[in-house]
Amino acid sequence: MPATRIAALTWIAVLGCANCAGAVGQTPGPVDGQWTMPAKDYAATRYSPLGEITAQNARSLHPVWTFSTGVLGGHEGQPLVVGDTMYVVTPWPNVLYAFDLTREGYPLKWKYRPEVSANALGVACCDAVNRGAFYADGKIIYNLLDGHTVAVDAHSGRELWKTRIAEVGNGETTTMAPLVVRDRVIVGAAGGEFGIYGWIKGLDLASGRPAWSARNLGPDEEMRARGDTFRPPYDQGTDLGTHSWGNDSWRTGGAPVWGWMSYDPDLDLVYYGTGNASPYNPEQRPGDNKWSASVLARRPGDGSLVWAYQFTPHDNWDYDATGAMVLADLTVGGRPVKALVHFDKNGFAYTLDRASGRVLIAQPFTPLNWAEAVDLASGRPVLNPAKQTGVSRGNVKDICPSLEGGVSPASPPAYSPRTHLFYTATANLCMDYATKHAQHLRGTPFVGVDSPYRGGPGGYLGSFLAWDAARGRKVWENKEPFPNWSGALVTAGDVVFYGTLDGWFKSADARTGRVLSKFKVGSGVVGNPITYRGPDGRQYVAVYAGIGGDWALLAGDTRSDDPADVRAPADYVKDIARYTSQGGIIWIFAL
Amino acid sequence: MLLTGALLSCGQQRAPQPASVAPPGIAHESHIVAGDVAPEASILRNPHAGDAAVARSGALLFTAMNCDGCHGTNPPGAGWVGPNLGDGRWRYGGADAEVFSSIYYGRPRGMPAFGGALGAEGVWTLVTYLQSLPVPPNVATESWQN
Repeated sequence: MPATRIAALTWIAVLGCANCAGAVGQTPGPVDGQWTMPAKDYAATRYSPLGEITAQNARSLHPVWTFSTGVLGGHEGQPLVVGDTMYVVTPWPNVLYAFDLTREGYPLKWKYRPEVSANALGVACCDAVNRGAFYADGKIIYNLLDGHTVAVDAHSGRELWKTRIAEVGNGETTTMAPLVVRDRVIVGAAGGEFGIYGWIKGLDLASGRPAWSARNLGPDEEMRARGDTFRPPYDQGTDLGTHSWGNDSWRTGGAPVWGWMSYDPDLDLVYYGTGNASPYNPEQRPGDNKWSASVLARRPGDGSLVWAYQFTPHDNWDYDATGAMVLADLTVGGRPVKALVHFDKNGFAYTLDRASGRVLIAQPFTPLNWAEAVDLASGRPVLNPAKQTGVSRGNVKDICPSLEGGVSPASPPAYSPRTHLFYTATANLCMDYATKHAQHLRGTPFVGVDSPYRGGPGGYLGSFLAWDAARGRKVWENKEPFPNWSGALVTAGDVVFYGTLDGWFKSADARTGRVLSKFKVGSGVVGNPITYRGPDGRQYVAVYAGIGGDWALLAGDTRSDDPADVRAPADYVKDIARYTSQGGIIWIFAL
Repeated sequence: MLLTGALLSCGQQRAPQPASVAPPGIAHESHIVAGDVAPEASILRNPHAGDAAVARSGALLFTAMNCDGCHGTNPPGAGWVGPNLGDGRWRYGGADAEVFSSIYYGRPRGMPAFGGALGAEGVWTLVTYLQSLPVPPNVATESWQN
């Protein structure tokens, strides 16, 4: 890279940091026009200090490049841009593309095609998705669906190491994006629909060898929870991860890790959420079922557990807590707070003290009725007795949100330190929930529910909204005709970007929500937009189009690639297939 | 009753023994035959074809063995992670032997082999149930006009 170019980028980075006083754990290094980790920075803000695109000029955004990934299926996640190269990981079979941004048409430098077992296709509950890669130490690091983590040389495309971390035959698949902190690659596995014994692992960055492994439930020793260092804010006692599971049900209790991770370098804590408790019939697992549907804070070096907070004790509704944990320094009630903000599937938006795990604010961001409120003294939800589920309760009607969540954990929010607002997609669906006794049979699902959906109150199915997490209130909301499954991006130009399930990619004024531009991108958007500064110094915005990520969401009739699998439209999105079908396209926009 | 037998048989399967000569297999009538010379193979027929009582047992097995966890519940077999089993179309063939093989031996896109857990009789019971599912009209056409 020429010296003048480095100087320019440094200048931009310095300018940018003047604007990011509220964010923590920014990408180390001087170059801030890049996008080197899934959520842009360790704080998971998905905020870029690039400001060429503004609310005044965004109406002239137009596509400047596209590329077909050659793969159909839910294109979740986001590209990375490191230096002058863009890296893209596809859904299964998890091809890694490296595009040369310095040449006309962005030709490939190389592509990496790992061998990935097709058996993983039938074990991944919710489409063969991949949530992206992480760049560190000259390596592109990501997970293959069949339970492997790979490190690929960012320059040559050669495989440096490949480590088996999960067992597909046990119901484990690996869809999440790794987080790298110092010399640790932190990874987890999905499998809440297969009764896995959920875990998280720290691999050695240089070799890929496992350095530590910690369960998300079970005995303290296996959870790496030591009496002298584990301080949950609302609980006392030992072995909470077994005592809160009747009938030893923790052994098949789920608590998978398939969402996003964040990291606070000052506190040296990694934050991540766990998924649902298994099986869906809660009567098979009496108790709180700790630490499913929770946020856990661990030391990245040795994995030791520092605190944990459970959003949904005794999960009755498949309310995974695997959505992003966004770190921001807020002023709450006149007091500065190192906050963690989380939009949960259960419909509440939480503002926590990220040093202690205590809840400061919990307010609904989307219609919900399973609970009345969250009691701040105990941290527990005040339950609505009419919406509790289980075999003995039969078919429980009209529970909101649906098990798709008030927002999908696959759709991460963004935070702007300029507007002090958080931006998130929502899904406004409700459900009936009829459980049955589920039999655990290794290699087969451990679910046991019939849960048809319908549209939630208000006559819309989803939205994109701005949230004031210091006060727990909505600031603006753009309603959408379909559930919104896109991640969010916000920039120093005070522009937010998101896509829709019917295939529109939109920019909007971050302060008002007014839509500034929209373009039909060929397939529904379930990925997360990013922005970067190209080799020519201009600001670009990239996003995937490729509907998928959840078979119930897809309704199945947006597929056209399998003549042996024809499905009827779902009752609640009868015409989604009229507006979109599967795809796999990378789009880049510019002014 | 069937289920109890099926679960008892878990863990009792023997490891397959290596052999140098292919044993007579199951004929897959939908496959193309090279040179019109079909391999030595047996025709398998569902011994319970059309038996409504067996189909009702199969419906119980369909949920007890967690088939619905992948192939859907509403209506049964409508498709989720696994393909729709009620559209009259079959990824690996819809002849008796082909559906039997898919369940008994599994398929390489994540369909587990249930032959060990269920035995041949249990698998035929499931096949009978799947063949009893009504195929809706107009599978091929989805229209948004009026």
